[in-house]
Amino acid sequence: MLAGLTPDLIALQLFTGLALGAVYVLLSIGLSLIFGMLTVVNFAHGAFYMIGAYIGLYALSIGANFWVALLVVPVAVGLVGLAVERVLIRPLYGRGIDYPLLLTFGLGYVMIEVVRIIFGRTGYPFDTPELLQGAVDIWVGYFPLYRLFIIAATAVVLAGLYLFLEKTSFGLIIRAGARDPQIVRILGVDVSKVWLIVFGIGTGIAGLAGLLAAPLQGVAPEMGATILAEAFVVTVVGGMGSLLGAVLAGLLVGVVVSMTSLFAPEMAKVSIFALMAVVLLVRPQGFFGRAGLMS
Amino acid sequence: MSAPSSDVILRTERVGRSFGKFVALKDVSAEFRRGALTSIIGPNGAGKSTYFNLLSGSLAPSTGKVTFEGKDVTGLPQHRFAHLGIAKSFQITNVFPQLTVRENVRIAAQALKTRFDIWRPRAAMTEFIETADELLRTVGLWHRRGELASALAHGEQRALEIGMALASRPRLLLLDEPTAGMSPEETRTMMDLIVRLASERTVILVEHKMKLVMGICDRLLVLHHGELLAEGTPDEIRRNETVKRVYLGQREH
Amino acid sequence: MSAEFATSRMETAPASTGARLLDLAERHRVLLAGIFLLVFPLVLPFHALAIVILTYGLYALGFNLLFGYLGLLSFGHAALFGGGAYLCGISLVHFGAPWWLGILAGTLGGVLIATLIGSLAIRTRGIYFAMVTLALAQCVYYLFYQAVDWTGGENGLRLPSVTAISPFGIPLNFVDPLTRYYVVAAFVFASLFFLSRILASPFGAVIEGIRENEARARACGYDVTRTRLVAFVLSGAFCGLAGALQALHLAIVPVEMLAIETSGLAVMMCLLGGMGTFFGPFVGAAVFLILENLVSVYTVHWQLVVGVVFIVCVLFFPRGIWGSILHWSRR
Repeated sequence: MLAGLTPDLIALQLFTGLALGAVYVLLSIGLSLIFGMLTVVNFAHGAFYMIGAYIGLYALSIGANFWVALLVVPVAVGLVGLAVERVLIRPLYGRGIDYPLLLTFGLGYVMIEVVRIIFGRTGYPFDTPELLQGAVDIWVGYFPLYRLFIIAATAVVLAGLYLFLEKTSFGLIIRAGARDPQIVRILGVDVSKVWLIVFGIGTGIAGLAGLLAAPLQGVAPEMGATILAEAFVVTVVGGMGSLLGAVLAGLLVGVVVSMTSLFAPEMAKVSIFALMAVVLLVRPQGFFGRAGLMS
Repeated sequence: MSAPSSDVILRTERVGRSFGKFVALKDVSAEFRRGALTSIIGPNGAGKSTYFNLLSGSLAPSTGKVTFEGKDVTGLPQHRFAHLGIAKSFQITNVFPQLTVRENVRIAAQALKTRFDIWRPRAAMTEFIETADELLRTVGLWHRRGELASALAHGEQRALEIGMALASRPRLLLLDEPTAGMSPEETRTMMDLIVRLASERTVILVEHKMKLVMGICDRLLVLHHGELLAEGTPDEIRRNETVKRVYLGQREH
Repeated sequence: MSAEFATSRMETAPASTGARLLDLAERHRVLLAGIFLLVFPLVLPFHALAIVILTYGLYALGFNLLFGYLGLLSFGHAALFGGGAYLCGISLVHFGAPWWLGILAGTLGGVLIATLIGSLAIRTRGIYFAMVTLALAQCVYYLFYQAVDWTGGENGLRLPSVTAISPFGIPLNFVDPLTRYYVVAAFVFASLFFLSRILASPFGAVIEGIRENEARARACGYDVTRTRLVAFVLSGAFCGLAGALQALHLAIVPVEMLAIETSGLAVMMCLLGGMGTFFGPFVGAAVFLILENLVSVYTVHWQLVVGVVFIVCVLFFPRGIWGSILHWSRR
């Protein structure tokens, strides 16, 4: 049964896993960023991912090209995120940690249904941009160019995020705030503004992830619901609130999924949950999570 | 006063605790005598609360060993401590706010006897209710037993907490700044209560205000910068030059 | 989110007539529930709807034990409800079990899945718990979805229709909606009685204590982690039973019973009816399902209403319907 599995094929599958993992990374880095700052778990994160894909679809339908969409989508989804934080989540601060979670869960329903009303219940295919069609030789074999692009785009986003967090004064505030919200308050910074912007950035990145994933799987109203559970797995494995954890766990989960689908396709979906179970048993706080966080 | 060293109820051997790079407590070795009222004192940030949390099991020490009645209790989960015979009150008031005063103590009283009984009605288990009422009389809250704990004044909530701590019939009672935030009147009542409790069991008390405990305790431990500075009877401590220097210029409040 | 029906509240003196009536109702809450279950089909003549209200209400009751009384938010209860339904269905389809054995299998199925999910999820704390339960429930979904030979995969599992049953030797026509209603109601009544016992027991006091103040409960000597697991497993029993009853009633187990949306339903019904109240889950289930029936006539976008009700409840109405009634009458 394993006769056809050459080292080259396995290496190619590894790259496929990295491309899939890159999408997980983008999703869970947004989740972790928001959680680290606001201690809100955004249960509508999958829905933001989904509207990212739909806004991209709409942009293409009115004549924009993929590269424009790549800029427009994160901004547009981020703006929706800003509005959501300002109007719906802000009234809930100080009312217990479960309330924002319940609210965003309900919000996910609304976003999915609104998309269904506008775009219909059935999904659409999403063309790979012309420039990125085809495959390139990566020594071990030919690999779809678009998947390489996803990995590269994710790397660019991560680099940008790193520079933003490490080199700007606003980034400094975010890092300090993630460690201890009190510090930010003592420094005299308007915390609610920081929260607002962080929520916008996190959801914007989720939207971008949706757009990047669209050519791989098409767009559908339900596309965010299944990936939400997987993004949670990544966040739990990497450690809540840890950006480095989100990156490593995202790539790991992507590789685990693609490798399992090579050897035992029917177990691919289940494998990531098995991974989470193992992590919970061995290290409940995840790779980089602090023990006792959120006790 | 001159208890033999075999009558040590609690012992710490070079215990320390750090949080990241910050060392909150370093190599504290001490013995606490059975039946004595011992106070742990020191200026703010001396490591008193950290030491208290190591003794009461809220924190596991990073280094060293804690033994209770000869048994190694280092790093045991918090809930085991009540079963061993160690009870504590928190520094910040810590009750079940939306339950009645009596139910607060009753829950504490049932803890060592029944926990996973899902069938018998608790209203019929009168022994716990009787224990609760008896303890409420001890701490002077019996007349308020029907009210929600959240309705009590600050001083009363602290007293309720002590009532809850007593419910496990502890041989060792640990109190973390029991008079913090209290009015002079409330403080006096609380100190009277502590003296009464100490006549029947071992009490270890963390206190920030040195004057308050000098007159009532048998022994004192002075912590400073996370280390044990001095140990002895109130008289010895009063005469201790190092302690004087540390407290000198530090106005007590 | 306080437990309005906690026995510990009984000692506070009621202020008004309304409050006194409610206190009376609370003391005889199981009796009251029994009377209500008897007359409910007369109030709501759509018996199929009445049955579904009971099964979903029971499902929400199981969830409420965990979230309302213990304060632990799970987003994976679909695995307990759907798992119970599937195990009931599998025992009937593949093993030819009689209906009552199917119900037992469903209940035990809920217990088993709750034990598995619970022992993993309680290793995490706070907000992690909601995420981990959601993820593990999704895993259960995939497992059942892929075991096509056992579960029928995406087509769902069709049950042989149960037509005649004879509990304790009494022959009953299970096809008759009203008879079927009373059979389901008997199980719901037993569950309410059991829940009432749990809440009044020492264990009931412990879970309330943990919800109120986890650190204090620990200092009192309670093993919080184990208590949570026990509560999760008890919750699984109620939800598994609800799933089994639902499976027998619908004669099919759709795979959607295991989906995230089904987990959301329990949260929604509890929130709408009133967290941590004895009757809240049933009030929530009734209002929700009746609303669904009404709205679905006019639009296919029922989910939009679900989401909006969710948001409105969280923002403006966190006590829920029954919780608010209790709150206002006590002021």
